Amino acid sequence: MNKVKTFFYSLLKKESTKTVVTSLWCALIGLIIGFILLVCINAKNAPYGMTSVLGNYLIFTDPQDKLHYFGQTLAKTAPLLAMSLSILVSYKAGLFNLGGSGQYTIAVIIISFLGLEDSANWPWWAVMIIAMIGAALWSMISGALKAFFNVNEVISGIMLNWIALYIANALLTSNSSVWDTSHSQAKVITSSSNAFIPSIGLDRLFDGNSIVGLGMILVLIFTVVIFILFKKTTIGYELKVTGLNKDAANYAGINRVKSILIATGISGALAGLAASLNLQNGFTSWQLSSVPPDIGFQGISSAFLGGLHPIGVIFSSYFIVHISEGGSMITDLGFSPEVASIMTSLIIYLSGFVAFIKEFITRYELKRELNKISRNKEEATR
Amino acid sequence: MKDTYAIEMLGITKKFGNILANDHIDIRLKRGEILALCGENGAGKSTLMSILFGLHEPDEGTIKKDGEVVKITNPNDATRLHIGMVHQHFKLVDTFTVLQNIILGDETLKEYKGNLNIFKKALNYLNKHVFKVIDYKEARREVNEIIKQYDLQVDLDKKIRDISVEMQQKVEIIKMLYRKNDILIFDEPTAVLAEQEIHEFLKILINLKKEGKSIIFISHKLNEVFEVSDQITVIRKGQYIDSFPTNKTTKEEISALMVGRKIKDFKTKKDIKPGKEVLKVEHLQMIDHFSKKKVVNDVSFNVRKGEIVALAGIDGNGQQEVIYGITGIKKTHGGLITLDGKDISSFSVREKIKAGISHIPEDRHKYGLVLDYSIYENSVLDRYYEKEFSKCLFISENSIKRFGDELIKKYDIRSSGDGNTIVRGMSGGNQQKIIVGREIERNQDLLIAVQPTRGLDIGAIEVIHNLLLEQREKKKAILLVSLELDQVFTLADRILVMYEGEIVGEFTPSNITREKLGLYMSGAKKDEVHAIKENDNE
Repeated sequence: MNKVKTFFYSLLKKESTKTVVTSLWCALIGLIIGFILLVCINAKNAPYGMTSVLGNYLIFTDPQDKLHYFGQTLAKTAPLLAMSLSILVSYKAGLFNLGGSGQYTIAVIIISFLGLEDSANWPWWAVMIIAMIGAALWSMISGALKAFFNVNEVISGIMLNWIALYIANALLTSNSSVWDTSHSQAKVITSSSNAFIPSIGLDRLFDGNSIVGLGMILVLIFTVVIFILFKKTTIGYELKVTGLNKDAANYAGINRVKSILIATGISGALAGLAASLNLQNGFTSWQLSSVPPDIGFQGISSAFLGGLHPIGVIFSSYFIVHISEGGSMITDLGFSPEVASIMTSLIIYLSGFVAFIKEFITRYELKRELNKISRNKEEATR
Repeated sequence: MKDTYAIEMLGITKKFGNILANDHIDIRLKRGEILALCGENGAGKSTLMSILFGLHEPDEGTIKKDGEVVKITNPNDATRLHIGMVHQHFKLVDTFTVLQNIILGDETLKEYKGNLNIFKKALNYLNKHVFKVIDYKEARREVNEIIKQYDLQVDLDKKIRDISVEMQQKVEIIKMLYRKNDILIFDEPTAVLAEQEIHEFLKILINLKKEGKSIIFISHKLNEVFEVSDQITVIRKGQYIDSFPTNKTTKEEISALMVGRKIKDFKTKKDIKPGKEVLKVEHLQMIDHFSKKKVVNDVSFNVRKGEIVALAGIDGNGQQEVIYGITGIKKTHGGLITLDGKDISSFSVREKIKAGISHIPEDRHKYGLVLDYSIYENSVLDRYYEKEFSKCLFISENSIKRFGDELIKKYDIRSSGDGNTIVRGMSGGNQQKIIVGREIERNQDLLIAVQPTRGLDIGAIEVIHNLLLEQREKKKAILLVSLELDQVFTLADRILVMYEGEIVGEFTPSNITREKLGLYMSGAKKDEVHAIKENDNE
């Protein structure tokens, strides 16, 4: 028993485990508060509601249903993961990408036009790449403003969100081959289309859920690429130096303009990937909206909950999608659909406390250490 | 006799984690005396003073004021007991005026008297129960009295960000006097001042003493300690070592006690004949981005192999800008910079580094290091892209590790762990050793060292001085910027004095005295220099 304990404490000393433990705490506290909320609204159904939220697809009795919704959750995780990576890349380079929604929107426009117009018969990968390039260029607008005129990227990012939103509304609604007037939303890319990301048999694995496909694997590859970028390459080294200490970057001869443009470019491309993964599997399409899509902001929460680590965000994005999917099922238990959003937002909000809880763990560890030292001293004097 | 002590701190012990910062330290201070607290960096001086000022609570020990035991748990207690402290980094509000800063937290209040007769009742009520307004007129009168009494000239209406460091220090002193403090604590007050300003400051200290104030003064500069103090207490590694009346001891004795051994003499400078010219700067011009003022005006000099050229001057006279210009960190506005006969004026920072400039920057936290990076990662900060450390975009961790370990061993860089230790938690001396080691190992012809020993203790200064002299013997060209005359005189072969962006004199250490150099630095000889220049031109 003691051995297990010492092993646990030695783990706790590592910065990475600290981050993981912290994120788990955040999630747990968020869930507890969420449960209290459920009890307040409807005490009788609260336990079952909570099980639904946590269980998501697991509450189905039919194994085929289970698989189907598991696939659904995974497929929905992919775009959020891409968006989290986008936030992470710019954050490491000292930039805060609040323009993720705008970059996503620009990619949506490109995908809608290339994928839906009958005359243009683009293959799926070409649509994806062009969408990523478009989003990257859009993101580099705020990068360039930052690099050359020192305009705050948060402000320019938010403004570009709105500009992108209105461009999307204007362009997509006015084009009859893209816009589906009867549903007042853009047409959905169908599995027969060339722009549809192939399932490579994965759909059959998940009870024929056609939105599951190659995209999931692609985003994991991108995650590994980003991980390697920061861990092993000179570009990653430069981006991190620029983010941690821009004066030291200047001193070391690192080109700040280049670093900022690279960081915003990569992060824009990843936001574009998120759009591609959401649209090119026929899951959704552009809907007339008066606010920028919220995936850009969800990406921020997921990136922070994941401890701003490429591997960490895989789990945090899955977790967020998992509980929001579960949350959408509790409406028939007498809870309004907003309750689910409140619970996810609570957890997301608590992810802001990551630093606080980390500090708490460090103190706890310090206290233990001190006790040990004084105990050793006592034994020695004895 | 005991009741004559203004302050006694007896058996003060303070632990931070498992580090014993203060171990049963005693200090005693009489009214109207100056006590100098001497010790190396990290000896526990600042901790001890923070305890007296209530920033930390001691684990053991008692504090007595005027013979009575007092309990100081926070700075408010200290202020009530008329104990004041000037911290090493001033605690002033940049955007407030001098007057506002002085009265902040201890404002003179008055009732608001508007001429709104209708609201008289309401105003009365508000004045009585809700708020009062600051009486600037009365406050100004009080502050002016203090200024007159102690001869501390400051402009009360200027904002803090617009006045010099020296003035800011005066503001801190007035702040203490305004609160009627009689125990004044100064934490390394001269670290931020230039030679001339230090003299002024010491004069102020003596003035304060004459008025019956008791002063505790932290410093490791022994010259000034011996100039003003009455008592000296030495602490080392948290331990109380000894106390002396100043006139019964010597600098040698104190410095030996401070470091716990006799200071070895610095390596003596060997006679070296300077070789061929490495760096040549001609008519360098630089304009400040914000103020549009000329900060470097027509500066020309050269540095040859095997010599140390020192740019001396009071802080902010353009020395740093000259270095920024040479290294490319800031843009130049005219002039020619040649390195080994190659014009590098228009090179980027990276190109200049590649062309052969090693640079030890003046601010290790701002420029020299990435504090959240490990020793390994910092050891290649300006050379990670070199073939040795990376292969087509991929960093080779193994070779960086190998190099970092070498650096740690060769330059005796100490940390709590191995090369993966994050440098933020390391001591200043060891952080500086990373930079100095990194830059020397690049083995370039030109080494620029800007205040390489800033904020370091005697032991670390010794190491770095010796490293620089070693480089000189290896026939490197070294350009040194220093604010400390001691350093300039021990290291330099040639001294260039800068004043207001111009070089106002060139000397060798043997043909000028400190006093004279000080005059040049303060610009007193500027007119003379100009006259000579004009004569030359004619």
